[in-house]
Amino acid sequence: MSPVTPGELLLQVCNLNVSYKTRTGPVSAVSDVSLDIYRGEILGLVGESGCGKSTLGRALMRMLPRSARIEGQILFHGREVLGFDDRQLRELRGRGISMIFQDPMTSLNPVQRIGDHLTEAVQVHESDGGKADLRQRIGTLVERLGIMRQRLSDYPHQLSGGMRQRVMIGLGVVLSPDLIIADEATTSLDVIVAAKLLDQLREIREEFGVTIILITHNIAQVAELADRVAVMYAGRIAEVGSVYDVFDGPQHPYTQGLLRSVPSIKLEDREELYKMPGEPPNLLSPPAGCRFHPRCPEAMSICSRIAPGLLPTMPGRLVNCWLYQEHSEKDGPAARTTARGAA
Amino acid sequence: MAVTTPEALRTQTAAVLDKVGFLRRFLRARIWHGAEWYITVLGGAILVTVAGVTVLAPVLAPHDPNEFIGAQFTVPGGGRQALLARNGEVPIAGDADLAGVVIGVQRNRNGANLAKRLGAEGVRFEDQQALVGGLKAGEVDLILIDESVGQELAAADSQLELVATGLGLRFVLGTDNLGRDITSRLIWGARTVLGVALSSALLASSFGIPLGLLSGFVAGRLDKVLSLTMDSIYSFPGFLLAIAMATMLGPGVINVAIAISVIYIPTFFRVVRGQVLSIKEQLYVEAARSLGARATDILIRYIFPNVIPSVVVVFSLNIADAILTEAGLSFIGLGLPPDVPDWGYDLSKGHQFLIAGYWWMITFPGVLISLVAAGFSLLGEGLSEMLNPRLSET
Repeated sequence: MSPVTPGELLLQVCNLNVSYKTRTGPVSAVSDVSLDIYRGEILGLVGESGCGKSTLGRALMRMLPRSARIEGQILFHGREVLGFDDRQLRELRGRGISMIFQDPMTSLNPVQRIGDHLTEAVQVHESDGGKADLRQRIGTLVERLGIMRQRLSDYPHQLSGGMRQRVMIGLGVVLSPDLIIADEATTSLDVIVAAKLLDQLREIREEFGVTIILITHNIAQVAELADRVAVMYAGRIAEVGSVYDVFDGPQHPYTQGLLRSVPSIKLEDREELYKMPGEPPNLLSPPAGCRFHPRCPEAMSICSRIAPGLLPTMPGRLVNCWLYQEHSEKDGPAARTTARGAA
Repeated sequence: MAVTTPEALRTQTAAVLDKVGFLRRFLRARIWHGAEWYITVLGGAILVTVAGVTVLAPVLAPHDPNEFIGAQFTVPGGGRQALLARNGEVPIAGDADLAGVVIGVQRNRNGANLAKRLGAEGVRFEDQQALVGGLKAGEVDLILIDESVGQELAAADSQLELVATGLGLRFVLGTDNLGRDITSRLIWGARTVLGVALSSALLASSFGIPLGLLSGFVAGRLDKVLSLTMDSIYSFPGFLLAIAMATMLGPGVINVAIAISVIYIPTFFRVVRGQVLSIKEQLYVEAARSLGARATDILIRYIFPNVIPSVVVVFSLNIADAILTEAGLSFIGLGLPPDVPDWGYDLSKGHQFLIAGYWWMITFPGVLISLVAAGFSLLGEGLSEMLNPRLSET
């Protein structure tokens, strides 16, 4: 839980662009994203719906639809994922990176027993190995996750939502991958079950030493669980830093707005929630310059012309905003836009 | 939550069911499966019966279906003969061998056949009146006549005496225009009909299912080409296509099966393709991919098993349809060769002679065709209701 201990680099994303080909033109879902992920950390990836966080998560395993175009660099253990052939890709998926999905109700094959799901996941990667051995290993794993061994012969529909989600976690860890991507893993669960699940994720991290990317729009869960947080907006990373730094002193105007939009259960501060003006941009034709500038309360003239970079403001903290960066054109016609922004 | 309700219901019903007998349990099954349960069971029962008949045809059929065994147009239940003599002048003892004895018979009736089989010397008379007249006039001492007629005559006319009854063969469902036993033809025909219908449905599914799987899964250009081909076959009127195919291929069991199967390939293709398209977007398929499963594994182990329920239903309904198509093809004379007993052929022959009053030739095959087609339809519809997860959840 120490704030930002830049340990060993596990995954490095450099200038990643993902665009979907559509009939009306390319949609740039992820644009110029660079991100470092360190071994053993939990990184929260937050943002509005449609900001590209799931696309980014899937791009890491190259699990994107055929209409997607990926450019840039994804280095996993220093190897270029985008250059992998089919065999290497299969090896990466499950063994290197695994994914826990959003909806436990539909992410298990209805005609396959729970045990078969797990056995098959292992057998895809390890064709040898004794059957009894494997059954023993899987039995131990599910008991560790709080599911009785006898339930292995059940079909998914016989399990409750929470149990199914635990099976999904089991599928995620059964091959002991280095990185687990939890894509909205708790969205469809009630708060109690979700809390248990988060606890389990944390235990798994401590026990197996895996790295976890927690993709969610639930800020509270990130605050609870993550070591670092990356805030995404319209396909770009707005701000990265340790949870303490970012949540205590958000620097990017979007992060500030996002945190003020989070409802609280404290009865004394029942003030009106902050409503961010405007709508997320249409990524078919994203705004020029900084993609947040049409909604930004602090927009300057440079914001609509030139995109800022994701640059450090303090150790371990990167912010994608002109407020913290210098540029020769920055202070030119600033007054005009500020006036417009204020109006 | 919706998850607990069916489970609770199931344990409840199980508790109730433990206390009741088999019949009540059977009736109670409605609680699990709804009213479709009975429909399915009824359809299944019809099919099991027909399938049993099909398998046991050599044992069950009383005669060779192609042998001209009786007289033409024997009425259902007819065929048995009575032996009549002049009253008080019975020339033989009750249990005598009739070989070599002179017996009067009527032309083209079962009595003539029987006399020939017995080795008796048959003297033929033109009609019934001449036959009875001949006996009374002393031209012959014995005559063979239809059992019911003989009994009536003996009762009404004191000149005549009944020597023996129950001679010869009995035809439960009558005989056709060539004197073939209709019962035997129907029993052997079940074999033909089910064989053709099953093999055409199998043939259609063995092309339609893989193509549908491939088309839905691979998508792209292959999908476009296959879909277009299948749609153009599908848009063609089915029976017309079957006629064209049957004409091209000529008669024969296999050819008819092929001709029929062609019209059903698109049905399988479309159902399977549609299912694959929706199943491959399911999260569990994506989850399998995220664990590094091969494309072939995903297709065979994740998509195919989930397609099976709809395929089973289509299969059953297609058999029902194939039976009708097969009967239709035989009816218009494009079906099987004449030496293969077949309901459709019997139907078309019966149709020709219906106007002469021989109703039994067309009725029995017609009833059977309807019954078996209905059996498969009921089974298919019932299964589709029971296997439909949306309906069974509630």
